[in-house]
Amino acid sequence: MNGFLLKIIACDKVFYDGECESFVFPGYDGEMAILANHEPMTTTIEVGEIRFRKPGETKWQRAIVSDGLIKVEHNLVNVLVYSAEKPEEIDKFRAQAALERAKEQLQQKQSLMEYHVSQASMARAMARLRGVEQLKNLNL
Amino acid sequence: MANAREIQNRIDSIRDTMKITRAMYMMSSMKLRKAKNKLENTEPYFTSLKEQIKDILYHYPDMQHLYFDNRNKDMMETVKKKGFVIITGDKGMAGAYNLNVLKKARELIDQAEDYRLFVVGELGRQFFRSQGYPVEEKFVYSANNPSIHRARMMTEYIIDLYQKEELDEVYIILTRMVNSLSEEAEIHRLLPLQTHKFLEEEMLEKIRNEEGVIDQNEARKLHDDWYLIYPSPTEVLEKLVYNYVTGFFYGALVEASACEENARMLAMQSATNNAETMLHDLSIEYNRVRQAAITQEITEVIGGAKALKKKKQKQER
Repeated sequence: MNGFLLKIIACDKVFYDGECESFVFPGYDGEMAILANHEPMTTTIEVGEIRFRKPGETKWQRAIVSDGLIKVEHNLVNVLVYSAEKPEEIDKFRAQAALERAKEQLQQKQSLMEYHVSQASMARAMARLRGVEQLKNLNL
Repeated sequence: MANAREIQNRIDSIRDTMKITRAMYMMSSMKLRKAKNKLENTEPYFTSLKEQIKDILYHYPDMQHLYFDNRNKDMMETVKKKGFVIITGDKGMAGAYNLNVLKKARELIDQAEDYRLFVVGELGRQFFRSQGYPVEEKFVYSANNPSIHRARMMTEYIIDLYQKEELDEVYIILTRMVNSLSEEAEIHRLLPLQTHKFLEEEMLEKIRNEEGVIDQNEARKLHDDWYLIYPSPTEVLEKLVYNYVTGFFYGALVEASACEENARMLAMQSATNNAETMLHDLSIEYNRVRQAAITQEITEVIGGAKALKKKKQKQER
C-alpha cells in the first residue's frame, strides 16, 4: 500500500513528521480517514483522538489532539493543532482537575465568552481522560 | 574634593546597586533562555499556520463574509472602529523595549478616530491610563509566561467584539526579534483577513519573471488546483479565524516575552558595566583622597615634632 507524508504540528512542537499509510481523525461530522492519493482538501479537526499507521506496521499510533485544521495536498497532509500528546504522556490527575474545574465553572453564571472557553477546556480534559482510559484497557 | 568617608559611602551604595543589577541580569538571562526555547518550539507552528492560512485564503471561493475585507457594507463606512492589541511588558527596567512599543502604538492611536485599546502587560496599561486613554478594563492579561490558554481567552474576547461588529479592524502591535541584538516594534492587521484578490496579485508578483511578464504555465498551475473545503467554507472559515487569531496571539506573546527578557538582559548588563567603571573611578579618587589625608597628617606630625625640638633647643640655650 502506498504511503503519504504526514506532518502533525502542535503549537509547542512538531509532533510527527514522516511517512504514514492511513490517518484517522475526528472530523466535523464523525471520524474521517485519509489514505494515499486523497484529493486536495481543507477541513477541520475536532478535539479527540487521532490514529495513524506507518507503512509496513500493523500497530496504530495514537494521540490526543485539540481542535485545529487539516490541509491535504498531493500526498502531503498538514495537521495544525494547538496541542498533541501521546496517551502515555498525559497527566491523568491534571486532566481530572481540569475537568472538575471546567464543570464547576460551567455551573456558575458566566458570560458567553467564558462559557465557550470552559466548554472547550472540558472537551479537552474529557478527550485526555478517554485516551488514558483506553491506554489502560489496551495494556490489560 | 569630597572626603574619604563620603566617597566610601558612595562606593558602597554603587556596589549594592550593582548586586541588584547583576542578579536581575542573571534572572533575565535564565528567563530569556526559557523564552527562546519556547519561541523555537512554536516557530514551526507559527510559520506553517501562516502558510496554510495564505493558501486556504488563496483557494477560497470569492465570497463576502464578515471576516473578509471585501464586504460592500464595510466599504461604505467612512469611520472604522479599530481595535488595538498592544503587547507590553509587566515590568520596566528593560531598556527601550516598552518605550518603542508605546511610541508606535501612540502614533497609530492618535491617527485613529474611533478605537478601543486592549493592552497586555501592566506597564502599558498604566501608561495609557495615566495618559488618559480609554483602556479596556476587562481585558487584563499579563505578558509573563505566555500560554495557549491565555491566547484563547484573548481570542474569545476579541472575536466576540468583532462578531458583534463593535470592532471593524483589529491591529496588533508587538515586538519582534530581528536578531539577538536588535528588536523592532511592528504593527500587524489581524482582522479582517486579506481577500483572495489581494493574495492573487501577490502570488502573481512572485512568479513574474525578470522582464515583468507573467509565466503562463506557472499561473495556470496556481489556478487549476481544485480544492475541496469540507464541510463548508463558512464552517471552515469560522475555525480558521479562531485558529489564526489564537495562534497569532500565542506567537506574539512568546516572541514579545523573549524580546522583553532580551532587552532587560542587555539593559542590566550595561548597568552593571557602568557601575563597574564608576567604581573604578571612585576607587582611584578614594585612594588619592586617603593618600592626601595621610600625607597631610604626617606633615602635621613632623611639623609638630620639629616645633617641639626647636623649643627644647631654645630652652637649653
